[in-house]
Amino acid sequence: MNLPPITKTYGGRRVLDLPALELADGTIHAVIGANGSGKSTLARILAGVIKPDQGSFPYVGQAGYMPQRSYSFRMSVVRNLQLTGAGRERAMAQLEAFGLAGLARQNAKGLSGGETARLALARVLMEDHPLLILDEPTAAMDVASALRSEEILLEYQARTRCTVVLVTHSMTQARRMAGQVLFLKDGRLVEQGETGQVLSHPRCAETQAFLDFYTL
Amino acid sequence: MVLASSVIALAAGAPLGVLLGSYSGRGKRALVVVNRTLMGLPPVVVGLVCYMLFSGVGPLRHLRLLYTVTGMVIAQIILLVPLIAGSMEAHVSTVAPDIRETAHGMGLGRGRTLLLLINESQYQLVSAYLLGLGRAFAEVGAVSMVGGAIAYKTNVMTTAIMNYTNMGDFTTALALGIILLAISLLLNAGVALLHWGLKR
Repeated sequence: MNLPPITKTYGGRRVLDLPALELADGTIHAVIGANGSGKSTLARILAGVIKPDQGSFPYVGQAGYMPQRSYSFRMSVVRNLQLTGAGRERAMAQLEAFGLAGLARQNAKGLSGGETARLALARVLMEDHPLLILDEPTAAMDVASALRSEEILLEYQARTRCTVVLVTHSMTQARRMAGQVLFLKDGRLVEQGETGQVLSHPRCAETQAFLDFYTL
Repeated sequence: MVLASSVIALAAGAPLGVLLGSYSGRGKRALVVVNRTLMGLPPVVVGLVCYMLFSGVGPLRHLRLLYTVTGMVIAQIILLVPLIAGSMEAHVSTVAPDIRETAHGMGLGRGRTLLLLINESQYQLVSAYLLGLGRAFAEVGAVSMVGGAIAYKTNVMTTAIMNYTNMGDFTTALALGIILLAISLLLNAGVALLHWGLKR
């Protein structure tokens, strides 16, 4: 997947300024970086939620996207999944996989933050997408739920061979999940490469400085 | 009359508020400012405008609405629609971005996103209705000008309270005030029960 150069400016401030990128098809790409580095802006542009300063992307309208703030609609948990057009049986199977089957008939507004995140991830994985964009999908989950969600996501990716853009603050998650890593800082792409190389032997001092915080 | 005007105002004001709240394009701020200005419309001004429109020399004189309950309902609707629309707009503006982003990520179209937005605003719908109902109950300026407070025809409780007060009959005025308050309490309790039922 070849992306053209992406820039995004808010109120005269350039929050994203990326060169043309090549994202290998059928690979999970982890996007890492500190707060305000432009990760979510990139995710929202790729998903077509906001427009870049110029240009557009071929997958707009086809990409599955889970925003940073998980949202559950005011209806039963199972109905939330059925919004995608799936039947009840399929929705129940998905809830079972995410450990939410016992809450199927409950109003989704009564779910905890972690349960809402699981529901949101379950919902976006109901359909097969050529491109999947996930903005910190497991940040609100407990460790067991996060690991289970990662497993389901890996199974989904292996089955659909989709390209995944995974925004994460967890370096361990990036190691477990991603084949490629993109490190952003202040809206710029500092480093891109294979996960092991970027996280263990970064070429840039800025990447090393960022990673050092995770080993303190 | 109060029920008719508040229900009609809700039917008109709520969709307007949802549309205004979910709209994020150019001119939104100006539209919000205009609506907020209309929320503060003095009832006597609405009464005066309606009076001029419906009176014998007004452009709508052929409708014969002056000194009728229908005319009073219209005056109240003009007062209530911006209030209900403003209340809905304030709520929808805060929830719309998250709903729109989530719906977009699910590949839902604009129509379904709008339906979801309305579904997510059901509590606010009840609150907005209560706001309109309270205003309609308390309102006296517009209905007295348009209705004329004609006994057994267009004299409503608020205008009757005003008339009895002007005549110095404070006991009757106070009694009517208590009855009005009791009716308002009953209606509000009913709507609150409905609200509570929705939350469960």
